[in-house]
Amino acid sequence: MINPEIAGIIIILIGLYGLMTKENLIKIVLSINVVSIGLVLFFIGTGYIEGGDVPIMPREKVVDPLPATLMLTTLVVDVAITSLALALILKMRREEE
Amino acid sequence: MIPLIVAFPLAAAFLTSILPALRRERFSKHLFLIGMLSPWLILPQIINNLPSNEVVGNWSRVSGIEVAVDAYNIPFIVAELILSAFVALYVWGYYPRKIENKAYVLILLLHSGLLGAFISRDLFNYYIYMEIASVASFALVGISKEKGARRAAFKYTVFSLLASYIFILGIGIIYLKTGYLNLALIKENLEMSREINVALALSFTSLLLKSGIFPLYFWLPDAHSKADAPVSALLSGLVVKAPAYGMILLTLTFPINTSMQKPLLTLAFLSMFFGIAMAILQKNSERLLAYHTVSQMGYVLLGISLLNPLAAAYYALAHSLFKGGLFLSVGSLAEHYGTRDLEKLSYRNNKSLMLAIVLLSLAIGGVSPFIGAFGKAMLIENLKGFLKYAFYAGGIGTLVSFTKLNYYLSKRGEKIEIPRRKEAISLSLAILTLLGGIYLHPHLSVFKDSISLVIAIFIFYLLRKLGVFEVSFKAFTPEQFKTLGKEINAYMVLFTAVLLLFLFNFL
Repeated sequence: MINPEIAGIIIILIGLYGLMTKENLIKIVLSINVVSIGLVLFFIGTGYIEGGDVPIMPREKVVDPLPATLMLTTLVVDVAITSLALALILKMRREEE
Repeated sequence: MIPLIVAFPLAAAFLTSILPALRRERFSKHLFLIGMLSPWLILPQIINNLPSNEVVGNWSRVSGIEVAVDAYNIPFIVAELILSAFVALYVWGYYPRKIENKAYVLILLLHSGLLGAFISRDLFNYYIYMEIASVASFALVGISKEKGARRAAFKYTVFSLLASYIFILGIGIIYLKTGYLNLALIKENLEMSREINVALALSFTSLLLKSGIFPLYFWLPDAHSKADAPVSALLSGLVVKAPAYGMILLTLTFPINTSMQKPLLTLAFLSMFFGIAMAILQKNSERLLAYHTVSQMGYVLLGISLLNPLAAAYYALAHSLFKGGLFLSVGSLAEHYGTRDLEKLSYRNNKSLMLAIVLLSLAIGGVSPFIGAFGKAMLIENLKGFLKYAFYAGGIGTLVSFTKLNYYLSKRGEKIEIPRRKEAISLSLAILTLLGGIYLHPHLSVFKDSISLVIAIFIFYLLRKLGVFEVSFKAFTPEQFKTLGKEINAYMVLFTAVLLLFLFNFL
């Protein structure tokens, strides 16, 4: 069976493929987002423990909550940079006209 | 105590950003200056208690985030504080009223991001602060007046962001294998395995891209030369040092064997010579300085690859001071002439800028007793045989390129007025490189330095006679690609190739 880490790395590679082949700037930004989604999946996978429960109330065996928390921070960075990159594309278009 | 050094600028950034909403925009200048200079208040205490470390909020090491100041990062922190103080004084009133507030907020964020990265001893925390600094610098390149700055900023954003993601992938693998993000705990619980080697290859490649080492330098000359003068000084002087500090952290934590050392050492030398060769061919003053950053980062990487992190840290300090000074002084000239074409610029009519540029050129060439000589003396200790001569050749190459800069600048040009404040800032940075050098390494090697200077001037005249400076160099400029998309695709392939190369070498 495929585990989430492997799936994450495959998604990162798909994003990298997009970055190497797509010329459209918007598609480049989207490819970067694909890379980041793969990364999030990879991290969530690292925190998973076989048969673990949600880490909300003290329980016997829980999954590791740290990777998921870290990924929240990464997602925030991702949102900020995506909007910045899109704004730069808009500015570039205006400059060319 | 240590986290306060970041907290003050960060709080100032937040307060400055809400000033327009409170209709108190006129105070943003003052708040900006307070934010930029407040870490100086804490610095004496930190230096007195060296080395010190603490976990923020007094948590245990396992659950908290550790910060530390010791011999390895104090040069970075001091460099950051000195250069950002000078840039803060330079920027005061520099931007037009419309974007003034935003520029101040971005520079404050850059300042706190860099300080946060330099004190951090936790991989994820280091990444977050480096990212704060990077995002602020993307935006700062984007607000430049220069044409093509948006294009440069976009390229910088895409590559830097991809490198960050690859870096976090590396961190993720380290976390998966050791269970910690804290570097001290990783070191205690480390068992080397193939997975850790993969993680190291991923993180080193991405940090190499972020610090602009050959062959992953392609975003750097554009971003650094299109930005405004004070922003270029910050980018070249400080932002590329944050990934270098990350590499130092990695070499201090993980055992680095020869098969990992070799590719880094090779890239260090390639970067040194490639940067110099490209700089000699440039006709744009800022691009010339930007290519020297590629070459000088090679020296920093040399220290890292020789497992001599102290030398790398002190060379980084030296480079911050003289490169920041050069960008500020040459940038002031370029701005007041309204062009960045070397042939039209001149410092003849401006004695203090002339003195500053000459002093800074000597400093970057590694002439004693400037601070560059100290960094080089530390680096050369571990070099043997052929590499030692290559290292001397690099120093002479740098001098050749700066002979060229001074030759063009010393030609007669139109008379222009440059504000006293800008002159004073450039000159005091230049004098600081001299005083810093005397303080850290008080020695004079007149014979060696005069020989290298004579050889450099001789090579310069030889190259000029051969007409090398007349060559118009079309390759390696953004214009050779049809569209920005194509350019990004091509460099992405290069990045992937280097990544694969590192993976094979480290495994």
